[in-house]
Amino acid sequence: MAEWTPDEVLDARGLSCPMPILKTKKIMKTLKSGQILEIQGTDPGTRNDLPAFTERSGDEFLGEEQKDGYISFFLKKA
Amino acid sequence: MGVLVGKFKEGYSVLFDRNWPLWVGGVLLALLGIICMAAGRPWGVAGGLRVWSDWLFYWVGLYNTAPTNAFFFSNASILTWGLLFGAFGAALLSRQFAWRNAPKLELFKGLIGGVFMGVGSVMAGGCNVGGFYTALAAGSVSGFAMMAGLLVGALIGLKYLMWEIEHVTSKPPKQKAAKEGGIDWSKVQPWLGAVFFLFLLGWAYCMSFRAYTQEAVLMITAVGIGIVIQRCRFCFVRSFRDPFMTGEAVATRAVAMSVILSVFGFFTIKWFRADWQMIYIYHHWIGGLVGGVIFGIGMLLAGGCGSGSVWRAGEGQLKLILAVITFSMSNSLFKNYVWTSDVAKSWGKPIFLAAVTDYFWAIVITAVVMLVWWAVMAWNEETDSLTIV
Repeated sequence: MAEWTPDEVLDARGLSCPMPILKTKKIMKTLKSGQILEIQGTDPGTRNDLPAFTERSGDEFLGEEQKDGYISFFLKKA
Repeated sequence: MGVLVGKFKEGYSVLFDRNWPLWVGGVLLALLGIICMAAGRPWGVAGGLRVWSDWLFYWVGLYNTAPTNAFFFSNASILTWGLLFGAFGAALLSRQFAWRNAPKLELFKGLIGGVFMGVGSVMAGGCNVGGFYTALAAGSVSGFAMMAGLLVGALIGLKYLMWEIEHVTSKPPKQKAAKEGGIDWSKVQPWLGAVFFLFLLGWAYCMSFRAYTQEAVLMITAVGIGIVIQRCRFCFVRSFRDPFMTGEAVATRAVAMSVILSVFGFFTIKWFRADWQMIYIYHHWIGGLVGGVIFGIGMLLAGGCGSGSVWRAGEGQLKLILAVITFSMSNSLFKNYVWTSDVAKSWGKPIFLAAVTDYFWAIVITAVVMLVWWAVMAWNEETDSLTIV
């Protein structure tokens, strides 16, 4: 079961760099503080890019979950 | 024994589980690039891609004469084969190889991005590698023009991507559900990768017996480049795009440092081999600048540059495989047109920086330009002044 309950889900499966990050950045702007975004992705680069993104934005990178054929990443808006 | 197995697993995990830092990639790429130069053929990607399509168009009857460069055993071609092999093998060792489909719009962007990159790289004398990275190391003034062009092209491309996100929605492709009871590929992949690299080593050894030593050296060096670039996810696009997108300048720093290291090596070799002075010197400045803008837009659409498209293709990303194919074909066709007309004369003259100044000042100028790029993007990293997303 999911460790985190997302308020929004971004389906970025099949998208490659930089689309997942661009879309994440856009959605994060619309979230309220404390809300959680789930990003579903298949690009191996996203694994590095999201933690690097949150480090700069100040948001919190909660973690990732291996799903069937993709990875879900969870971010918490600061 | 148990201890050794544990240590091996630990080392393996460091090398093939986690990604290597980008700056490590910058240092290693400079080193490998200098080895290529010492072997008589500086690192480039577009040249190899062109040779593949030159042959394709010759085989289907579009070109009347056979290309002068062999499909496999020629300097240009083998560097790009090596990059593809290295990235493919490294993806296997890292359990990261997979056929990755993409939405139709993404695939289309790959096709168009490839065409832009093919045309741009003819004008600039190479892709981001041959026209910018290696060109600057080799002292081609056109490298500065292409750098300016790439910055402008990256901005235009990023503007388009932002527009697309607002106005176009694309459906994700159907994901194949994992089959039950099949082979566990993630366990098999590292073994396949190891066998593949052993095969390449053995093959290169055999090549050296048949008077193909230069090709063997270039292939193994390019395989090394492919491994480094895949393990670092070393991306020239990021060095140009990310400061405008996320503000991050980590890739910019890695590329700038790598150019500074390379220029020392290249200039040392050129100093001692005067007959190699004009190697990798291209059309300044229209060729570099306009080619850079066109290429920059293309690399943003495709999500990979010359090297980036090839290594991501080696990972099994369909979008980038398509980009590599159209890159190769458009480069060949456009170059063929240029060679049979006078159009290239208006692109400017090839200028060797050290022939204008001297070796010392040429190195200083190149280093200063890189440091300024680095400094501006580091300042932006703190202030986000240039970030447009």
